[in-house]
Amino acid sequence: MAQEKVYASPETALADVFEGAVILVAGFAGCEVPRLLLRGLADRGVGGLTCIFSHDAPANEPANASANESAVHGSVAQLVDKGLVRKLISPLPFAPGAGGVVEERWQSGALEIEIVPQGILAERLRAGGAGLGGVFLPTGVGTRFERGREKRSFQWGEALLESPLKADFGLLSVAAADTLGSVVYQGTGRNWAPVMAMAARVTIAEADRIVEPGGLDPEAIITPGIFVNRVIAAE
Amino acid sequence: MPERLDELTMARRVVAELRPGQVVALGAGLPGRVPEAMPPFATGTAPVQFLSESGVLGYVGPGESSRPGAGALVDSGGNPVALGPGGSLLSLGDLAGMLRGGAVDVAVIQPAQVSSGGDFISWTTAATPGIFAPGAAVDLAMGAQKVIALLPHTGSDGTRNLVADSSPLTDGRNCVNLIVTDVAALRVTEQGLELVEVAPGWTADDVAALTGAPLTVAPNLREMTLAWNDADADAATAGKVYPDGPAAIADLPEGATVMIDGFGGPGGMAHYLLVSLRDQGTGNLTIISNTAGIARSVNFGTPPGRLAIDHSILIDHRQVRKAIATYPVSPSASRPSSFELAYRRGEVELELVPQGTLAERLRAGGAGIAAFYTPTGVGTLIAEGKETRTIDGKDYILEEGLRADFCLIRGHKADTLGNVVYKGTSRNFNAVMAPAARITVVEVDEIVAPGELDPELIVTPGIYVNRIVKRPEDFSAYE
Repeated sequence: MAQEKVYASPETALADVFEGAVILVAGFAGCEVPRLLLRGLADRGVGGLTCIFSHDAPANEPANASANESAVHGSVAQLVDKGLVRKLISPLPFAPGAGGVVEERWQSGALEIEIVPQGILAERLRAGGAGLGGVFLPTGVGTRFERGREKRSFQWGEALLESPLKADFGLLSVAAADTLGSVVYQGTGRNWAPVMAMAARVTIAEADRIVEPGGLDPEAIITPGIFVNRVIAAE
Repeated sequence: MPERLDELTMARRVVAELRPGQVVALGAGLPGRVPEAMPPFATGTAPVQFLSESGVLGYVGPGESSRPGAGALVDSGGNPVALGPGGSLLSLGDLAGMLRGGAVDVAVIQPAQVSSGGDFISWTTAATPGIFAPGAAVDLAMGAQKVIALLPHTGSDGTRNLVADSSPLTDGRNCVNLIVTDVAALRVTEQGLELVEVAPGWTADDVAALTGAPLTVAPNLREMTLAWNDADADAATAGKVYPDGPAAIADLPEGATVMIDGFGGPGGMAHYLLVSLRDQGTGNLTIISNTAGIARSVNFGTPPGRLAIDHSILIDHRQVRKAIATYPVSPSASRPSSFELAYRRGEVELELVPQGTLAERLRAGGAGIAAFYTPTGVGTLIAEGKETRTIDGKDYILEEGLRADFCLIRGHKADTLGNVVYKGTSRNFNAVMAPAARITVVEVDEIVAPGELDPELIVTPGIYVNRIVKRPEDFSAYE
């Protein structure tokens, strides 16, 4: 039973990703970007995808080098480059000054981009994962982020109604997983993964290490296996 | 014109603004230089705790310049950093709540432009024309008690970065308090920008000539302060550990709202603090808890002839006016709980909240969420008097966030910065309550030095814990 969550390859784990799917991609500034799964998705070639993510370029490398490297190693930019992405939802879809293919496609009208500030995105994903119908946040009151949103006054002041975000697939890179799908992270690798794992219908983790149940300290598990459907070994 | 300050010197001006013990969120760009500008600290704890947009809390200086990979630690800009003693790690969901909930003392951001009313446009917004992506700058600026804008006074082409009027692209309205540039420091006041400090060699007129907004000059205009002020360093870091329970809650006022952890039985409950509160005798309390006390009527393995300590001791002592709770009755009709009896006598009020809704209302309170729609309780008595709304074909009711004056929780171990780890089911409501109170007091088995708890295992970061007491070793959870 437990072993059913462990998949042999990115290809098998991604086999049911369909045209037009909404995909969450964890990772922050190059940390724990699920590159193996992204490369698998590029190889699979299904299009019309919506990707929800933060830009994945390591900021401490020259912009061009990182863009090239990402294109080789698996990235959302690579999916955009292959014309597989219809829309991006992100607080920052590329490193400023290094827009590359994402900016080009957006400028040519081939790619839609929706900007959601980081904390609002995190909360919308959490709301999606936690089964809430919406959350009233004070973030963005009095700014362009009010547009199209219901505003109300509460005990602590004005707040805007934000809708929950859910997705078809969530892609994570994690330090270790057990065969039941429980995962632990390391350092900044935690970033989006815990909220994204909750918000996706099917969450797939590429793990540096896969262990038997009991191989992870229960007090240390951040994302319980009920939120992770598939695990692959990260090479 | 005289020489402008370099980036590190600008960062030193920010450091001069920080106080020991503060939590300081640093955005991407120039704020990333601030840790380098801190004076070295000898041992023990870092004087301030830096928080990054990437979810690192309590980092120090630049880290080893390694490629980002498994286990990497990076700051808001993706640059490597090192974790200081007592540092911990957050998901971006936890980070969002921490910023919005007001737990952060100071945020340092790099805007491209600041208006005289304190509105700003993030540099990333300006650097992504047409797309206008602010990243996390919006969150940093709206939640912190004090917001410092760190930016060059003018653009490389001479553009004024400090302007009179706000732009429609603003990322935050009326939120910047202090502006630090390469030529001056300015306060944002209700009357507009006030020039308070100038870089060496600069005059008020020099600065005004580069500013796109009217300036008033402070009567005590002086040269820029660049030194870290560690006057009360010891008080800020050593001050969380209290000698005993009574001392830790001495200022808990009559009529306070108090969160008390616990699940059903006596486990994971701050018994020692409960006894301290009972002995203190403070009355007219509103308690927020899961059960309002059922352990002594249900037994839960209580040794023969003894009674479990739980909320009931406050009820019996007539200190409670109201309970906001999930399960305030005994499961056994023949053994009613103290709260049940008091309720039947008309001595206490009750607001009944389903367990998951209580947890969510507490999280909302701690995370600065005003209200949320939940499906729990639709079509039942729980929905009475609340807004019901259909969203995407499903019905929800509107519930508001909950906050309290005090929160009494039970941890296993805490370090002196207040970082807490739990053990087994004693985690229960502790982790979700701790951020939702003005003063959170934790009772633990053991107090350790910062750095002794595994940063990956810290469940409640110290910025949510104000006071720590050690539960006496001979203390019994039964009376």
